[in-house]
Amino acid sequence: MSTSAQTSAPPGLATRREWLAILARTPRARMKEALDTALDGVSPPEFDWLRAPDIGLAMVRGRVGGSGDAFNLGEVTVTRATLRLRVREGRAAVGVAVHMGRDKERATLAALADALLQTPAFEARMHEHLLAPLAARITESRAQKQARAAATKVEFFTMVRGD
Amino acid sequence: MLPDKLSITLHGSNVAGIDLATLTPGFSDTVHDSQGVFRALLDALSRPGKIVSIDAVLPGFEQDGETHVPMAAFAALLALADYSTPVLLQHEHRGLSDALRFHTGAPLTLDLAQAVFAYLHDAESMPPLDAFSLGDPETPENAAMLFIRVDSLDHGTPMTWRGPGIRDTQAVHIAGVPASFWHERALLASQFPCGIDCYFVHGGSVIGLPRTTRVEVA
Repeated sequence: MSTSAQTSAPPGLATRREWLAILARTPRARMKEALDTALDGVSPPEFDWLRAPDIGLAMVRGRVGGSGDAFNLGEVTVTRATLRLRVREGRAAVGVAVHMGRDKERATLAALADALLQTPAFEARMHEHLLAPLAARITESRAQKQARAAATKVEFFTMVRGD
Repeated sequence: MLPDKLSITLHGSNVAGIDLATLTPGFSDTVHDSQGVFRALLDALSRPGKIVSIDAVLPGFEQDGETHVPMAAFAALLALADYSTPVLLQHEHRGLSDALRFHTGAPLTLDLAQAVFAYLHDAESMPPLDAFSLGDPETPENAAMLFIRVDSLDHGTPMTWRGPGIRDTQAVHIAGVPASFWHERALLASQFPCGIDCYFVHGGSVIGLPRTTRVEVA
């Protein structure tokens, strides 16, 4: 894999943010499965680490009532990784991952997926076989959760004593 | 050491994004390589005048790249700098500044007094020494540390160095440092324990010059 690993026109910031969010919400097993399907036996291009996966802490902040004063909710472990695909010429695709948790393997897979999504040779297959199913799963599980919560909804009403 | 002022003067490039497509990868083994570099730098400063080679593994570092920053300076700054140590680069070096920002998180500064580390690419046009932070008598460790690129570490102006870490005298030959530097440095001696520690850098080697060393230019 050499020249074909060059980047296409850079994706819009919003588009990339969207797929990074999808990758960040996907468990490792599913991501591996989807990545294998998307690659379909083709070996991914080799890459160099710009930042090998490392684990650290990040403070999560919240706002009272969603819009009030900021407060520190607590610290979470975060795994981050940055890799660059090897290319002979042109600009190399760079994949990044910043995930909650301590799973370096998952961060590696996600960073590789991010880089491949910017690579013309893999772009289409990655969108079709990786991003679309993962996004669908996230939407589905969110809908299920909402349905479960909706079933517990209580309607309050006031009895009016009739005259 | 935390910077005194929260507002840090930024290089123009600091505002721009880091170019990840051309970024130099850092150490291949961050912990052990930076420990090795630290040990070599400590050794160089403990034995002033001794040529110490830094055998850091910097994959992808091009010695003859467009920046021409010596490998020893690159490795030393990667090993020493962090988010709390503003770094001053005398000239703009995209490769070095991107690598420092990405790998170490160090802020870049143009303010001489604020710099904890400085890389001086051209000794001939370096700013006056006393413009850098010399530390306070209570906190002399807050002084700046300079990395000065020189043309040679073994051919050049003959000098005799004396002081802690040297048994009697140490003969040193460094090329490419103006006479004014040695004069300015001698004037700072009276302010001990405040002062400035320097490294002379050429290729993969350094010579350490702590503030305690007395230099006699022949």
